[in-house]
Amino acid sequence: MAGETKDNSLPKNGLLSARSSDGKFSRRLTDDEFDRYSRQMIVPGMGREGQLRLIESRLLIIGAGGLGCPAAQYIAGAGVGTIGIVDGDIVEASNLHRQVGHATSRLGMKKVDSLITHLKALNPLPTYIPYDFQLTPQNAADIISQYDLVLDCTDHPITRYLISDICVLTQKPLVSAAAVQKSGQLTVLNCPPAPQGLVDGEYPPCYRCCFRKPPPPSSMVSCGEAGIMGPVVGMMGMAQAGEAIKILASGLHLPPPTSDDNTAPPLERNLARPTLLIYTYDLDSAVGPYSFRALKMGGRKKNCFACGEGSTLTLDGIKTGNPDYVQFCSAPTINVRLPPEQRITAVAYHAAKEKGELPAHILVDTREKEHFSFGSLEGAVNMPFGRFLMNAAAVKRTGGSARDLLPTGAADGDAPIFVVCRTGQDSQETVEKLRELGLDNGGQRKIVDIMGGLRAWKQDVDPTFPFI
Amino acid sequence: MASKPPPGHFNILYFATAGSYTAKNVEALPAPLPLKKLFGTLEERYQGIRASVLDHSLVTINLTYVDVTDDEASEDGDQIVIKEGDEVAIIPPVSSG
Repeated sequence: MAGETKDNSLPKNGLLSARSSDGKFSRRLTDDEFDRYSRQMIVPGMGREGQLRLIESRLLIIGAGGLGCPAAQYIAGAGVGTIGIVDGDIVEASNLHRQVGHATSRLGMKKVDSLITHLKALNPLPTYIPYDFQLTPQNAADIISQYDLVLDCTDHPITRYLISDICVLTQKPLVSAAAVQKSGQLTVLNCPPAPQGLVDGEYPPCYRCCFRKPPPPSSMVSCGEAGIMGPVVGMMGMAQAGEAIKILASGLHLPPPTSDDNTAPPLERNLARPTLLIYTYDLDSAVGPYSFRALKMGGRKKNCFACGEGSTLTLDGIKTGNPDYVQFCSAPTINVRLPPEQRITAVAYHAAKEKGELPAHILVDTREKEHFSFGSLEGAVNMPFGRFLMNAAAVKRTGGSARDLLPTGAADGDAPIFVVCRTGQDSQETVEKLRELGLDNGGQRKIVDIMGGLRAWKQDVDPTFPFI
Repeated sequence: MASKPPPGHFNILYFATAGSYTAKNVEALPAPLPLKKLFGTLEERYQGIRASVLDHSLVTINLTYVDVTDDEASEDGDQIVIKEGDEVAIIPPVSSG
């Protein structure tokens, strides 16, 4: 905006105070705060009172990555008074395209320290509290209970369920977001918090009310494996900051005011049926057919394991391993373990090939085509695993020809098939599926897994291999 | 917005892993369809989708959450019918960040 001059008609002192939750007038804004926050304080609905609520708030950001970085920037800029950040990881080069709170000069540093360095340069006024370790069932309650609101910026179902459960038990509002590849999700949970077990009325949902069980680990993908577009996760992180600032500045997380209190802002208080914001980003078209969708969620579920009627979840239980989050999130999965005669190590494959001991064979690489495009083994043909599984299911269903599943020219003859993938799991499943479908020609054709995939190849054979 | 479904159909949107599993973002299926038959119908078309995707996903009809429980006798599941022109969405949880 042009003319960034101070508006001297605004009082610098005197009226610059606010009512805290116990109804007493509290501190005044300092000149520094007044200058720094003036442009957001003049926004209708925010005001000095909203600003003072932010300054007096304590907010916890769990995860200093793709969501946590953009969220923290706006939270710090807005002047939330105490900001805790939890993360046990260190900054890596592959983080930087999206984790904008870190820097090339801080590679190798703890993420929490790197992010706090960045935030202090942006705004030195808040108190920053680093927790440079992972959140665990043992430490989660002690940390979360010291804050007014929690942002879940983590990257795994185990922590998502753990954080939600602790927020239910300690009655903290939770702003939850997630993103992978080209889509993101955001929702406000547990706000305003209601005691565990209350179900006679409209109460807000927790994470478990929305997502009763985690996806099977085989279908779960991380940003490291599946990829993530920076703006997608950035948008979700910023939206988290937006929701958190709104909640704290407006006191939406506090119990509704008593009837004689007319100072409460006239804002929508009903978050009992929150919105789930979904952002989908289509790389194939300039303007996606649908980018944002706002879905009306349900409220607290009567039979919810964590917050529902008769729930047996307790803080003590969580600390002592009940529920077992690791087990809950790694429930039944088809974990193929092939017998040794159907496997070969990367080193042995390489050595046999170098010595000319390998017969003419077909080498199938089951990574997605984007991974394949960065580099592959000599002679490899690409057969992406996801598409292969679907095609295999279609063959079983319709009785089509299993031979069509193999890349062109690979179906005929008895030349052995070697299968390689990224880390060695998909290739084993592929070998087993191919045999199931009879493509081993009744045992005449060898189908062999290259153990440990291209990760092992890079580690043990060729360190220059472009492995992602 | 996805284009309108043809007469006698509803649109179903597949988000995140639901999209990868079906290899599409949207398709039109015949309406009316009782909500409790939705997962069975999808399983017929995409073998294995129930265990891999549907059992842990949210379902919405016309942008509003609906309760699809395994329990056949549940109040919601018994009554809700997906109608011609509706928009159903399958929303698996996303965990990364």
